[in-house]
Amino acid sequence: MKQGFRQSMAWLHTWTGLLVGWLLLLIFMAGTASYYREEISRWMRPELPASQVSADVAAQRAVAFLQANAAHAETWFVTLPDARNPAIRLFWRNPDSMVKPPVEGERRRRGGGRFGEATVDPNTGNALEARQTRGGDFFYRLHFDLHYLPVMWARYLVGFCAMFMLVAIITGVITHKKIFKDFFTFRPEKGLRSWLDFHNVSAVMALPYHAMITYTGIVTLMVMYMPWGMKAAYPQDENAFFSEAFGGLPEITTEAGQRMPSAPVQRLLDSARLQWNGADVAGFSVVHPGADNAVIDIRQRDGRRLSSETPALRYDMVRGTLLQHSPEAGAATATRGVMYGLHLAHFADWGLRALFFLSGLVGCLMVASGVVLWAVKERPKHARQGRIGFGLRLVDALNIGTVAGLPIAFAAYFWGNRLLPVGLQARAEMEVSVFFYTWAAALVAAFVWPRRAMWAVQLYAGAAMFALLPVVNALTTSAHLGITLRTGDWVLAGFDLAMLAFGAMLALCAWRMQHWQPPLSAAEKKKRAAAMAHAAKTAEAGA
Amino acid sequence: MMLLALGLCFSAFVALSLATEKHPVAMQGRALIARVDRSAWRWVGWALLAVAFALSVSARGWALGPVLWLGAMTLAGIGLAFGLYPYRPRWIVPAACLVPLLGAAGLLL
Repeated sequence: MKQGFRQSMAWLHTWTGLLVGWLLLLIFMAGTASYYREEISRWMRPELPASQVSADVAAQRAVAFLQANAAHAETWFVTLPDARNPAIRLFWRNPDSMVKPPVEGERRRRGGGRFGEATVDPNTGNALEARQTRGGDFFYRLHFDLHYLPVMWARYLVGFCAMFMLVAIITGVITHKKIFKDFFTFRPEKGLRSWLDFHNVSAVMALPYHAMITYTGIVTLMVMYMPWGMKAAYPQDENAFFSEAFGGLPEITTEAGQRMPSAPVQRLLDSARLQWNGADVAGFSVVHPGADNAVIDIRQRDGRRLSSETPALRYDMVRGTLLQHSPEAGAATATRGVMYGLHLAHFADWGLRALFFLSGLVGCLMVASGVVLWAVKERPKHARQGRIGFGLRLVDALNIGTVAGLPIAFAAYFWGNRLLPVGLQARAEMEVSVFFYTWAAALVAAFVWPRRAMWAVQLYAGAAMFALLPVVNALTTSAHLGITLRTGDWVLAGFDLAMLAFGAMLALCAWRMQHWQPPLSAAEKKKRAAAMAHAAKTAEAGA
Repeated sequence: MMLLALGLCFSAFVALSLATEKHPVAMQGRALIARVDRSAWRWVGWALLAVAFALSVSARGWALGPVLWLGAMTLAGIGLAFGLYPYRPRWIVPAACLVPLLGAAGLLL
């Protein structure tokens, strides 16, 4: 190799970053939004009332609802309300005999009718008729499953992007010579210099976050990306590996016994709290409900622990005796648990969550400024030749369509939630379609006219759509700022206020894009100064 | 507690930036800077970061404390480098004095 080490690292950084940049931005934005997955879901179902009952009452109502509606299910899965989610969420698994064969030509739902689900109002114990929406779960899935693609392909694609991101981070640190000297250096209004500064500072300031989130992101799907160790040690049975490595409580394989009434659920929850010295219960699952060998696994709420492995207790649900503690994790499992936990940040309270969210936004800005930087750097070469080449035009279009277009799509998803009729068929899918059609429209527009004016147009469009969301919300629901601020419902009010803030930020970007003047070269400056001086002189002479 | 950690990190970064060559000029309070040696500011900066770390760990434990500390550093650094330095340099020294005091007041109240 003729080039020096640093040059080759710079080359690697440029091209790994550019190749995956746009998909990476989608992944980053969806992941950042996922920190507020529950809050987004709450906002997107404004019908949900606030929970006013204790966890015990909610648990009793959940069991009563399941006994009435899913008595013959094999398992129940209950998530109790908490500060972030006011409703009880229920899932259950139907026995094989109850699963209908898929109808020809009908699009198959996940699980094909094997699973039932319901959202229950803890205040009344009745199923909630909230609008159909995927809420924040859409962003969560989009983050690693993408959409329209087979899940496995999507996950490999996301893993590929994450690997490239990791390479880009390492090579970026090597390329960036003066990390400490330029730690705080951001010089605006200087063209290429400004973009480089911005990219550097956004990368360096949040470097611990970027490195952590990329590495732990790969760890979350590590068994899928590198299955060979598992295949060698457990050639026959992958499930044995999963239950031994990450399982927590072992799976129950016995058949359901005779019908027999269970012990009251609040007594079991009390016993679990006593075992945990008062720690809260997040939810529980029941295997063989209503049978004489029913068992209940009670899950502890995430709290002061980084790991995603939450302790659980298993009780005999009929006799109320404690059967088993979730096993202590081994070193490797504990390590993975901590990494998984760090990535998901379920442990974070509102303040820490805000820090994660802001760091995620900084990550989005870093990726966005990286792809823009490439175009800014390339442009003078094309300007010298007098025409914009194919490569730059392509990158410009993709930049506008994702950096400015994706925010429009995010806002459009929320607009769709408020404006699509509540009774619509397949409404949840329709909201998702709104997201992708809007994004596609932004991309097409960017490809048709990849100029600076298009940047401004799309950024203004995004700004308007975000800023008007609270207005649309006020016109279509009764969960708007006028009410939520007064009642102190900070989840809903915070969402609307955040939308206003995003609108303002995008408007600022758009305004700067619209009023930006290309910096003058030194020679041009001299020429203009001379012309000014000349004009002044002639004016004087004329007078 | 969050605000105090954030304020300490912010002041620490201000002190560290005073220790570098190019930045002090952009700021007010040059007299203050002239009197104290540059390497002293470096010590002050690192000491403040250490205090912020100790505070985070004592408040949130060894698991969450370091995470909080890193997050606070990120936010403080972004605010300083993208906000105050290029656009409101005169606010930097007052902010570096005020924010930790506000945080401490919030902790006591």
